Amino acid sequence: MTVKQRKAIVPAASAVAVVVLLLWKPTVLIYGLQAAGLYAAVAIPMGLVLGIVHIVNLSHGEFMMLASYATYTLCKALGMDPLLALIPMALITALFGWIVFQFTIRRALKAPELNQLILTFGLAIAFSQIINLIFTSQTYKLALDYSSMSLDVGDLSFGVWSFVFVAVAILYAVGLQLFLKRTRTGKAALAVGQNPNGAAIVGIDVYRTYGLVFALAVGLVGLMGALFLTKSAIFPSVGSPFTMKSFSLVAMAGIGNIPGILWGSVLLGLAENFLRSFRSTRDWAEIVYFVLIIAVILSRSLKGKKS
Amino acid sequence: MNRTLIRILLAGIAVLAIVFPLFAGDYPLQVARNIMLYMALAISWDMLLRSGQISFGIAGLFGIGAYAAILGVVRAGMPAWLSIPFGAAFAALVALAIGFVILRLRAMYFSIVTLALGEIFRIIVHNLHDFTGGPEGVVMSQGVIFGGNSSALYWLVLGGLAVAIAASTWFEKSRIHFALTAIRNNEISAKSSGVDIFRWLLLAFVVTSAIQGMLGGIFVMSYGFAAPDVVFSADFTLLPLAMALLGGIYSTQGPIFGAILLGLVAEWLKLKIPYGHLVVYGIMIIIVILFIPQGIKSLVKKTLGRESTAPEGGHA
Repeated sequence: MTVKQRKAIVPAASAVAVVVLLLWKPTVLIYGLQAAGLYAAVAIPMGLVLGIVHIVNLSHGEFMMLASYATYTLCKALGMDPLLALIPMALITALFGWIVFQFTIRRALKAPELNQLILTFGLAIAFSQIINLIFTSQTYKLALDYSSMSLDVGDLSFGVWSFVFVAVAILYAVGLQLFLKRTRTGKAALAVGQNPNGAAIVGIDVYRTYGLVFALAVGLVGLMGALFLTKSAIFPSVGSPFTMKSFSLVAMAGIGNIPGILWGSVLLGLAENFLRSFRSTRDWAEIVYFVLIIAVILSRSLKGKKS
Repeated sequence: MNRTLIRILLAGIAVLAIVFPLFAGDYPLQVARNIMLYMALAISWDMLLRSGQISFGIAGLFGIGAYAAILGVVRAGMPAWLSIPFGAAFAALVALAIGFVILRLRAMYFSIVTLALGEIFRIIVHNLHDFTGGPEGVVMSQGVIFGGNSSALYWLVLGGLAVAIAASTWFEKSRIHFALTAIRNNEISAKSSGVDIFRWLLLAFVVTSAIQGMLGGIFVMSYGFAAPDVVFSADFTLLPLAMALLGGIYSTQGPIFGAILLGLVAEWLKLKIPYGHLVVYGIMIIIVILFIPQGIKSLVKKTLGRESTAPEGGHA
């Protein structure tokens, strides 16, 4: 089989799968895509941090959780809509991310990789437990009319609000590409990601760039935290599955591959919702991404051994 | 301090640990059991760490041992005492099977896969309703081991801890120590000096998993109950990790120090703040990684070292 043929098979197979799903189980397609949007929008910032700062941030999902709680408190206190809090929350969490970076992660950048892993693991625990301390393990949810909006097509009825996640994911993907390729800061960040020593030699402040990129990523996650609150209930451990999901997507796509994160999310979202659509397999949907992450890591490591 | 003095001191501590139930009440015994359980887990985690592999899957193997033990009793009518080695053997077997594949992974990939495997075990147990009892879990109708006698339960956990300490000492004093340290320091040079890396890693992984499975069995036999969210709780990964890091890694004493210190602090905090007392563990991990990556052990050693080199008594 030539490479060209092989390349043609994947889109063809996915097109067939989409048509089959559309006819057989349209809700799987709809909810799968909505879930994919959510996963991708949270995973893309993690990909950014891994690609440029070269750390796996195990507190990634917890930053989102913190932003959700901050938004909740703000909305309850001021009686405002969480949508109004999106941009302020992104700025606040970005600042918070920058502070966390300066005080903790920056100091561990020269340490062995495993120290960084354990450090961010410690951050994740500290964040979720501080929230546990303040808010207890009770769940909180905002009642919003627009988030339960639904659309009827024939005898099919489905929620449409979650498509906003798809929009944000695409916005993030396109925006980041433009930022990294077109702006001065973005180009500098790419250079630092490729070769920090080289970047330092040509006069780029490497640590400043790391801090900026980390803050940017946390800010993007913070915006998602505010948006997440419009749809879902929140509790202290709500963020941790997103850390794992994001990591598996980033690992699957490979470092620096933002479109790959989008496709991976679609696969993950569809697979989960497909299993969820049958009574007998509903409970197994949760296992999909753990199996996926292991399969991806193993196949990558075995491929690496061969070459 | 000279060697004989240390030996006498250690023997004294051991005797004290054994006779502890004779004068302690139920509450201190309960606290001691908890601390010893986490201490043993911390030691087992450290044993694998000595090869440079960070496992985030302690809870997974602990839970597997726990379920193997309780299902052995409930479904197969196994006597309670036998179920504990059965839990250990089962966890070892699972570790052997998955070890063949995942021990080829390194660094963060190994860590993440162990974390994911732990979750997979939990979901499988959660979903096999008919066999495992599903999310509600299983209760041992024949009651807790030793009829729930608190001194006997204490000695049971102490026995588990003794096994962990013995295994860890064996790892420290035998050839395994050199093999694992060589792998950790430089895998390529270890390989070129003839160390069969994969075999040693597999040995370490299976032994530590067996210990974790055994502790799962002990845990479940002393409570007579298992549920997925209880025995696969992230605490069983998190607490031992924090304890070993705090006390000082790559040794047996480090996790012991760390477990006593963190265990007592957490127990005290649990009484003060019911929600979120685990925040101490998170903060402790952060502080240790940033400021004392060698753990408390190194601080103690430094102070002792200074005292012995400066007998005039002038210590900083």
